[in-house]
Amino acid sequence: MLETVIFSIIGAVSLVSIVFVALAISTRDLLKAVIYSAVQSTLYAFLMYLLMAPDIVLVYVAVSVGLLPLITIALLKKVGRYE
Amino acid sequence: MSRVREAVFITLFLTVVSLIVLATITASQGEILPRTTRSLAKTFLNTTYNVIDRKFWTASPEAVAAIVWDYRGLDTFYETIVFYTAIISCLMLYRDILGKPDVTKGEGLSVVVKRANAIATVGIIAVGASTILHGMITPGGGFQGGAIAAVAPVVLLVVFSRNLIDRSRLTYRKSIVLRNLAILSIVLTALLPVLLSAGRGYVFQNQNKEFSVFSYPSLLIDVPMGGSIWFYNLFEGIAVFTAFYLAFRTILYSEAISLIVVEGEDRGF
Repeated sequence: MLETVIFSIIGAVSLVSIVFVALAISTRDLLKAVIYSAVQSTLYAFLMYLLMAPDIVLVYVAVSVGLLPLITIALLKKVGRYE
Repeated sequence: MSRVREAVFITLFLTVVSLIVLATITASQGEILPRTTRSLAKTFLNTTYNVIDRKFWTASPEAVAAIVWDYRGLDTFYETIVFYTAIISCLMLYRDILGKPDVTKGEGLSVVVKRANAIATVGIIAVGASTILHGMITPGGGFQGGAIAAVAPVVLLVVFSRNLIDRSRLTYRKSIVLRNLAILSIVLTALLPVLLSAGRGYVFQNQNKEFSVFSYPSLLIDVPMGGSIWFYNLFEGIAVFTAFYLAFRTILYSEAISLIVVEGEDRGF
């Protein structure tokens, strides 16, 4: 029973993350693309937690939600926001 | 033309999504959590914190930390060195401007954001420190904790503007020295058993072995300390934190300064 619940949550989270990947690819506003990809990374971190990899979650959250969006936004400030 | 491109995009997208869904559904046909522990995992779980038979124990209840910094210590050390050299080469590109004050006078974001961020910074540092210092009990460790703590200075740089670097006491020189000392301490922690037991110890030795009596402390008051694992986590955390800090303070230089680096490249030197 518990396995079924966990698996359906994993499935739902993966499907939602696909939507954010599509949004990040298709949007012309690069700042929005960074935010979409950060949301997608949050969902991936949740997936890793459900798959029982807490060590990976700790570093993945810090790097993909904290450091990567910040460095990309710093880049966007120099190259312009719109594609 | 754009309609054709859109159709191609949608077709490709749907194909990839259905392939992923198919793979997920196919993989879900078994049990998610294995009912039985595999023999390799069983061996590690039986040896890492075996108080009764201390032949191969590591004094660390966290099996992952025990494998990463004790059984496979050399692998992790080389990973650390790879990260170390990666940041060094990133800094090499900017060698002409490192440590120089910036020309722009930014004011940062509004006072509300500044105060809220100042409060959050304490929390981020605390979480990072606890992840580093409890690496031998809970999931996480040096790299994870260092990466978490590194978010704090980076967010501070964005919120308080880059001028914060020029005013802060953690200068370029100090952070370089701190980082090199951390890496040196990892090496010394690994070599200490060999040095102290006159060549009879092992590199990356943690607890005493049959032919080598040297042992790092296994208890900190009443908490399992993991012997050398605690020290490795601490130094690795400092190294990772300063590495990210150095990279970001260099990347966030204003255009006027960072263009000095590429000056003359169009003329071929």
